[in-house]
Amino acid sequence: MKTYRDIAGDAGSNVMGQVRTQEENLRARMAKIRLKVAVLSGKGGVGKSVIVANLATAFAMRGLQVGVLDADINGPSQAKMLGVRGQRLTFQAEGVQPARGPLGIRVVSMDLFLPSDETPVLWSGPTEGEGYFWRGAMEVAALREFLADTDWSELDLLLLDLPPGADRIPNLLPLLPELHGIIIVTLPSEVSQLIVAKSVTVAKEILKAPIVGMIENMATHLCSRCGAHAPLFPGQDSARLAERLSVPFLGRIPFDPLLSRCADEGTPILMSYPAAPAAEALSEIAAKVGEALCLPPAPS
Amino acid sequence: MKFLCVPCDEPMKIQETKGPEDGSLTVIFGCQTCRRQVALLTNPIETQIVRSLDVKIGGQQAPPDPMRFVRSTLAAMREEVPSASQPTSTGSGCPFTSIANSAFERPTPIYRAVWTEEAAQRLNNIPSFARSWAQKGIEEYAQERGYQKITPEVMDEVRERFGM
Repeated sequence: MKTYRDIAGDAGSNVMGQVRTQEENLRARMAKIRLKVAVLSGKGGVGKSVIVANLATAFAMRGLQVGVLDADINGPSQAKMLGVRGQRLTFQAEGVQPARGPLGIRVVSMDLFLPSDETPVLWSGPTEGEGYFWRGAMEVAALREFLADTDWSELDLLLLDLPPGADRIPNLLPLLPELHGIIIVTLPSEVSQLIVAKSVTVAKEILKAPIVGMIENMATHLCSRCGAHAPLFPGQDSARLAERLSVPFLGRIPFDPLLSRCADEGTPILMSYPAAPAAEALSEIAAKVGEALCLPPAPS
Repeated sequence: MKFLCVPCDEPMKIQETKGPEDGSLTVIFGCQTCRRQVALLTNPIETQIVRSLDVKIGGQQAPPDPMRFVRSTLAAMREEVPSASQPTSTGSGCPFTSIANSAFERPTPIYRAVWTEEAAQRLNNIPSFARSWAQKGIEEYAQERGYQKITPEVMDEVRERFGM
């Protein structure tokens, strides 16, 4: 009896050819982007997205062409943090024109598709109850379209804001096999560091992309009375964790309500309050990231 | 997916497709030698899995519009985002996936639903995040059955049928 492989073709559909075309379109689009860098965390709520928005700003301030892909399909926040929520995506034959944030940063986020603040990302289908079967595949397909169908134009750097957790990191592998770097964000709390170590393992062993380094967010808080910095969490120093995991340590960002306020207002702190402690820390970290990625230095 | 006629040891060809209805597709294959037929009936999960591949069996005649997949699968979307165009399935091959795609794509807005005041009020009682999804489902149901107005009775029908 004939087997699957004995029967030539697939009745003219060329499904595998269509998948290859999808991959070729993605590769052609990504070829115009010099560096693709993913930013990830372990736990949610560590401030990864606000760091992405400000790193993008730091490099745009150097005159680089920068894009931000909000890969957090279910919890998109980049449109808010980069102040583009009111913008409309423009659909053209050559691709979707992304929203334009401060300094011309190109932004694509699921948030730009959703009709209201309360609307969650739900996929139409008859089997929502069994969505656990196919939701992951839908998210990967959406991410592929965000990457391949956006007219990013020529970019020096595309930053990807990944969702928290280690489980979604492998989704990037078929989409961006040529990822140029990974930045990890954690808090100095034991819980955050416990989980982020898993993400580092997945990034190293599955993505096999170079790890640019680890950032410690909310490292200290500034006493409003005496101006002294004091620890915010009782956990171990993240620099020691970075050393243990053999990844570079990029620096610490103090807890600063201004950082949160600027994110809420859609104006990155690097532009609004460049002398704030958190902004200065972000600038120093951006300098190290730029050095690691061989990006041109900031103008003096 | 391929079907083999065991007695003839020959691949079967697609002869007819039906549906989708309630998330299920019917695809009839026939053996060109002995004329036997077999029907493939998908459950909603299988239909949805095929959908998530974002490919068209029957062949992709033209490049898809940008972000067609997202625009055709998101349950609720900003008004200014254009809905995905209707798929143009051509070719003699299995239309399995293209049918699956069309099962969930937004229809060309020819039908204009008229909601009675009572029905509109009831629609407003649905939580905002699910409202546009429910509205779309009810309007498609009404369109399929040729209802000119959407009344509370039509909504009851939808609820009884789909549990919405």
